[in-house]
Amino acid sequence: MREGAFKKYFKRTMTYLFLIVVSFLSVFPIYWCFVSASNTTAEILGGKLLPGSHLQENLTNLFAQADVLTAFKNSTVNTLVVLVLSLTVCSIAGYGFEVYHDKAKDRVMGLLMLSMMVPFVAILVPMFQLFSNLGLMNKTMGFVLPSISTPFLIMLFRNNARTFPKEIIEAARMDGVGELKIFLTMFVPTMRPTYAAAATITFMNTWNAYLWPRVIFKQNSAITMPMLVSNLMGGYVIDYGVVMAGVTICTLPTVIIFFILQKSFTEAIAGSVK
Amino acid sequence: MTNTAGQPRKRLTMHQRQNLVGWLFLLPATILIIWLSFYPMFRALLISLMKGKPTALTFSDPLFRNYQRMMQDKVFIQSLINTFTYLIIQVPIMLVLAMIFASLLNRHDLKFKGLFRTCIFLPCATALVSYSIIFRTLFAYDGMINAMLMNMHILKEPVNWLNSPNTAKAVIIIALIWRWTGYNMVFYLAAMQSIDYSVYESARIDGASATTQLFRITIPLLKPIILVTAIMSTNGTLQLYDESVNLTQGGPANATITMSHYIYNTTFISNPNFGYAAAMSFVVLILVAILSVIQMKVGDKR
Amino acid sequence: MKKLLALVMALTMIMTMAAALATTDDGKLTIWTWDPTFNIAAMNIAKEMYQKDHPDVEIEIQEVLSEDIETNVTIAASSGDLSTLPDILLVQDNSFQKFATNYPEVYMDITDAYNFDGFGEAKVAYSVLDGRHYGIPFDAGTVVGAYRTDYLEKAGYTIADLKDITWDKLIEIGKVVKEKTGLPMFSGQAGSVDSIMIMMQSCGESLFNEDGSVNLKNNETLKKIIDVYSTMVKEGIYLEVNSWDEYIGTLSNGSVVGTFQGCWILSTIMSLADQKGKWDITNMPAMSNVEGATNYSNNGGSSWAIINGKDTDLALDFMQLYRNVDFYNAILPTTSAIATFAPAKEAPAYTAPNEFFNGTPIFATIVEYTGHVPSNITGAYYYDARNAVSTAITNALNGADIDAELANAEDTVNFAMGF
Repeated sequence: MREGAFKKYFKRTMTYLFLIVVSFLSVFPIYWCFVSASNTTAEILGGKLLPGSHLQENLTNLFAQADVLTAFKNSTVNTLVVLVLSLTVCSIAGYGFEVYHDKAKDRVMGLLMLSMMVPFVAILVPMFQLFSNLGLMNKTMGFVLPSISTPFLIMLFRNNARTFPKEIIEAARMDGVGELKIFLTMFVPTMRPTYAAAATITFMNTWNAYLWPRVIFKQNSAITMPMLVSNLMGGYVIDYGVVMAGVTICTLPTVIIFFILQKSFTEAIAGSVK
Repeated sequence: MTNTAGQPRKRLTMHQRQNLVGWLFLLPATILIIWLSFYPMFRALLISLMKGKPTALTFSDPLFRNYQRMMQDKVFIQSLINTFTYLIIQVPIMLVLAMIFASLLNRHDLKFKGLFRTCIFLPCATALVSYSIIFRTLFAYDGMINAMLMNMHILKEPVNWLNSPNTAKAVIIIALIWRWTGYNMVFYLAAMQSIDYSVYESARIDGASATTQLFRITIPLLKPIILVTAIMSTNGTLQLYDESVNLTQGGPANATITMSHYIYNTTFISNPNFGYAAAMSFVVLILVAILSVIQMKVGDKR
Repeated sequence: MKKLLALVMALTMIMTMAAALATTDDGKLTIWTWDPTFNIAAMNIAKEMYQKDHPDVEIEIQEVLSEDIETNVTIAASSGDLSTLPDILLVQDNSFQKFATNYPEVYMDITDAYNFDGFGEAKVAYSVLDGRHYGIPFDAGTVVGAYRTDYLEKAGYTIADLKDITWDKLIEIGKVVKEKTGLPMFSGQAGSVDSIMIMMQSCGESLFNEDGSVNLKNNETLKKIIDVYSTMVKEGIYLEVNSWDEYIGTLSNGSVVGTFQGCWILSTIMSLADQKGKWDITNMPAMSNVEGATNYSNNGGSSWAIINGKDTDLALDFMQLYRNVDFYNAILPTTSAIATFAPAKEAPAYTAPNEFFNGTPIFATIVEYTGHVPSNITGAYYYDARNAVSTAITNALNGADIDAELANAEDTVNFAMGF
């Protein structure tokens, strides 16, 4: 009995130890990036791991060199628009593919999956032609449109919709509830963890998008955070302290969003179904 | 029983109505993908049959010349081998790790769950700039990894990690696992939430160990989402670009170059050859499609 | 469902309308360039100077990275829609021929519209295609040998011992320095063939023949240079590091004695405040036994291109500033952008002694060097050839036979050219 308790205690300790080590390894580069924001180039390249005294200097240089506020505002607006449109369009499609599935719809789904398999570089030129013909250069919509409907999110919602009990839908239909209402009032609340996961991923992808915004946005006023960071690396002289200050500002929102949304991953959903 | 005449007709119309609503639900997403993916893809397919300057493309003769050419292109074949090496080693390790982390973090009696979850997810939120600089610094000749391994007497002399073919590949695989394990874990965690916890409790009462629970309950129920992550990871690895460009620049001597990196070079770095680049892209597409179909056949039985 | 669709539609419409339309007025120039501390800062000064005389002209300088300018030119040209391009843009010299060859309709032929007297011959050559001029030279990439005089002193040398020397002599000095200080003479990025290309150009040689065909397999100069390079790497005189930041790190940590590099590296060196007074510059070593070998070369630098179909008259008028000594005198203190325009070396900012470099007037010295740099052929396939040579050298350093490797590299480039 005591031996069993010891074994259990030992196993628990090992679990925590393992998670601590993994967490440390995961966090280290971000920690280093944040710390480097307060160091000089020589210190960073020399491998300094502790906070230094140049944070204010780096920030001052960063704000003098680049329009951080505009970039931050643009990235926020772009990302929020994509987030709302993308989650709406993809979740309803994923739900549709699963709940109303038949041979024809399964085939359409298979076809849509194909679209994520082409390297983006390959369709860059035709995409540019299309968007410049539509007059969408330098427009928020030009950036947003291609990221709204992604096969990945559709697939994520479709596959997670499988865990949504069919009986609930049938029962609601018996009660005369409309199809859209079933989706909005029953499916959406139940799938909160999936929405949270999808939102996290969409936020991250949109916030960090680089190649397409570079092609679409040419005006200084349309600059996004990742563009700003890479602009800092484009010259003959790279001030790594300033770059790291920029990277830190660029990374923080994703970290915060994840921290907020991750609570939803663990919410017990048993209650909300009933 | 009473309404025998009306029942079948009404059912049929209801079913039709549902079918129609189903199509309406799919419509916005489908239109967007057809318009913004398939149409450019079709254009790219045409380009893959062409040759010449980007501003004066003409159909090549024979039509499939770009595709035939690949077989003789040593760099392309090298990039193909590299990419598949990454795929075969990295994806399984990453998905297994993600599953282990997710099931550990899904335990109800675990403390500081939120903190651990955030930490493990963080790598994929890390900006490419900082993560590539730090990986290069860590694995530099006089970097921390060499110092550590030599202190522990695992190595006798420093290894030039990024400058020899096999170790450079290994660094890329480590970097990929580091960056994407937490990402996949998120999906497993989200899916695990839809499993009723009482299932585990009754399993525990029946004396099932944690490992048994994982293999008998969690994995079978998570099959759809495992499939999603497997397809996504395969897709992502075959289109791998960032690590090859930022960690090793494809070197030493093309030992780590990926297909997408080579396609990008062919389009934008070398003298532009759009036709050839488009043809290589379609080979990537076909490979991903084949692998996805295999995965779906294995994992997606209704 | 209808409501939702309507909502999505409405949102889409609002977004589209909300995005502001940019209107182009007459007398407006748009310029694409990168680096706020260098090209952009210089352009801002040009803008100020120009607007003093032309207050009605609007000039917008947009920050676009070099690689993004290339991507955007490629995309715009291949889709036939040049309207999204600016009036003036900056192009890396090594990429100039590639773009001028592939998209001749994009860049304006300025042969008869601009005066090229006074610019370094090698510099101008980067943007000349079939005898026609497509670019206006900007900053110099003239190679300097920059050395830590404190380290040299320890080994019993002065900067004068490194002036006008050959690589054989440098290897001799390098061995002594290595013995006395334990430090390598130079460092560089493994796999990037910057150093090799610098040495090639110092001989007026390139990876191509006059007719544009690739010249690797039987390129005796290239083989001699690879030999010198390999010797230095094996003797520990040249330290190969894995990335650009490691290379910069060797300079900032003081773990190398010097570097031979495009003169823009001096800005990085001058940012290392603790090393003030410890550096000096001279020219780079020359190849021995190679006809036409010099102590001068070039690496980096860029030139301005004017885009066809835009307000080219205004753009040309504005670009006259780049033939103006006052302009170069004004930009030097803030940007360290060194002119390729020879008359600039008389300007006060150029002749002033530089305390960081033991009082050497480095800028006038560099403009002086620029005039001696031999020109070389870059061509449209420059990067293809570079990559192939890089692979060959990496393999050779790992023990492969260099002749076989170069033959292989030549096949690779010919393969790329076979279209």
